[in-house]
Amino acid sequence: MASFSLIYSSITYYALSKAPSQPFIAWGVFSPSETLSNYFSGVGMNVTTHKILTWHFEVTNQMGSIQYVGVVYRLGNSTSNNPNATAPASATPQIGNTSRFIPNGQTAAINFTWSINSENQAGGLVVLNMTINGQQVFSPIGSVKGLKFRFFFELWTYDLAANSFLYGYEGPGSRIGNWLQIWFNAA
Amino acid sequence: MRFRQSAFLGTLLLLTFSISATTDNVSGQSTPIDIAQNKIVQAFQIVNQADLDGASPAAISQLASNLNLALSYEQSAIQLLPTNKTGSGVYASLSLNMSTTTAVQALNVASAARTQTLLSQLGDYSLAVASGLGSTLLVIEFHRVKNFVRRVRLRRLRLD
Repeated sequence: MASFSLIYSSITYYALSKAPSQPFIAWGVFSPSETLSNYFSGVGMNVTTHKILTWHFEVTNQMGSIQYVGVVYRLGNSTSNNPNATAPASATPQIGNTSRFIPNGQTAAINFTWSINSENQAGGLVVLNMTINGQQVFSPIGSVKGLKFRFFFELWTYDLAANSFLYGYEGPGSRIGNWLQIWFNAA
Repeated sequence: MRFRQSAFLGTLLLLTFSISATTDNVSGQSTPIDIAQNKIVQAFQIVNQADLDGASPAAISQLASNLNLALSYEQSAIQLLPTNKTGSGVYASLSLNMSTTTAVQALNVASAARTQTLLSQLGDYSLAVASGLGSTLLVIEFHRVKNFVRRVRLRRLRLD
């Protein structure tokens, strides 16, 4: 009687329990046409001075609890080192960031509106004076003829144990770095 | 009883915030923006705990909206700092107030969630034990049911 009760109780409790799931954060950069492409409205990768580009990030939290998410922006060129699955592109200067609280199971839209104010020559390279989300930004990274610039977008999350933002998000066993990039030419 | 507990916790939190804010000012090293940023993180910590304690998605969503509002005030404070220190201070204060209010709300939500989770777990355990006992009795005493059905059938046949 006791054994039967134990077995049947265990089966019922198992059936009533929540199934385990792997936590993750998914994100993407969306163009004004709400797609993951056509970022420059059909003019290749060229961005002219004073042209305003309105993109946005969509960040979905499936971590199982509310997350304090940060997005770090960097401007690099063709020779810049990429971020990777474990480390951010620390050698490439940060030109901005934004943060947001996202409840579990929800998606947050984060604006990224930018334009090039001016192109300046520095040591044979073109460097950019930009406006990002209303803030004027000067990036020290240049590019030959203004070609092959690229934005690095890195996902960071606030770690309460470390009391600071850390690159990526907490995966099963280790942190998972997550980054995106978009190439453009300053034409 | 629960209300008293929540009120006590809320008062305790407000006192802690007041004391820590005073300490920050006395040290002379933290700016209003630094203090606002710290309070946002403290509030996030409490909201996160409420979420882990099983608070409803709607409650957490509301608390997250408040935290995002506190963040936007803090951003305005940072943007205004170079040109308008008074305005920056006002936004930092708004951010601080919003974080403090959110933290108190989160404490209440967490307390309610813990009670709800406990009741829900008790319900699950009770259901599991009751189902287990029911199933066991059914298996062990199944022969009696069979006999009973057989007797009923026999009685019907005799009557016919």
